[in-house]
Amino acid sequence: MKFAIALFSAPHAPSSRRALRFAEAVLAGGHEIVRVFFYQDGVYSAASTPVTPQDEWDTAAAWSALVRDHQLDGVVCIAAALRRGVLNDEEAQRYERDAASLAKPWELSGLGQLHEATQLADRLVCFGGP
Amino acid sequence: MATLHMLSHSPFSDSRLVSCLRLLGPGDGLLLTGDATYALQPGSAQLQALGLMPDTIALFALEEDLQARAIAAPPRVQVVDYPAFVELCATFAKVNSWL
Repeated sequence: MKFAIALFSAPHAPSSRRALRFAEAVLAGGHEIVRVFFYQDGVYSAASTPVTPQDEWDTAAAWSALVRDHQLDGVVCIAAALRRGVLNDEEAQRYERDAASLAKPWELSGLGQLHEATQLADRLVCFGGP
Repeated sequence: MATLHMLSHSPFSDSRLVSCLRLLGPGDGLLLTGDATYALQPGSAQLQALGLMPDTIALFALEEDLQARAIAAPPRVQVVDYPAFVELCATFAKVNSWL
């Protein structure tokens, strides 16, 4: 079965951990993830700049590893990302910011990618809130 | 069309659970995750409300969230781990998250 997974909450929210555990279980169960889409505060989980204390769990790193290791289509809403300072090289240049801060495996794109993912997938599962 | 409703907010701090219970139809399911598992607190009005739901509505709770809160699920509620959570999503035609 094909899943699309959308994350709306910041890395510190338990729901972002649930989304990650769910995504891992989807793949372990032999299903396919057509796209992971980060929206609203979920875009913080695709930022490369935050530094997590060593004794704490690094949600963003875990997401990056999952996307990289399984070559998933990881998409971050560009409008949500720009207003939160999560920029790729192209956007950093366009808006004359000092540095890019989008982690490697992620792509910035529009909300249309979420819509398309729901059309491609059998199920859309959204995670947000606490 | 059977829908799995997924809640994560505490039923003691907002009205999502109450609104959701009103919407559930025959064949639908309710999955309690995160703070929503507090709805299973013994002696609470929320647990009583869940107990009054017809048998055609399946109730589920995420295992790790129950464990984290030391809440025991009543017999009516099926406890699921992540693999079972995934299969639940496949069983129901739609998944509706109460964000």
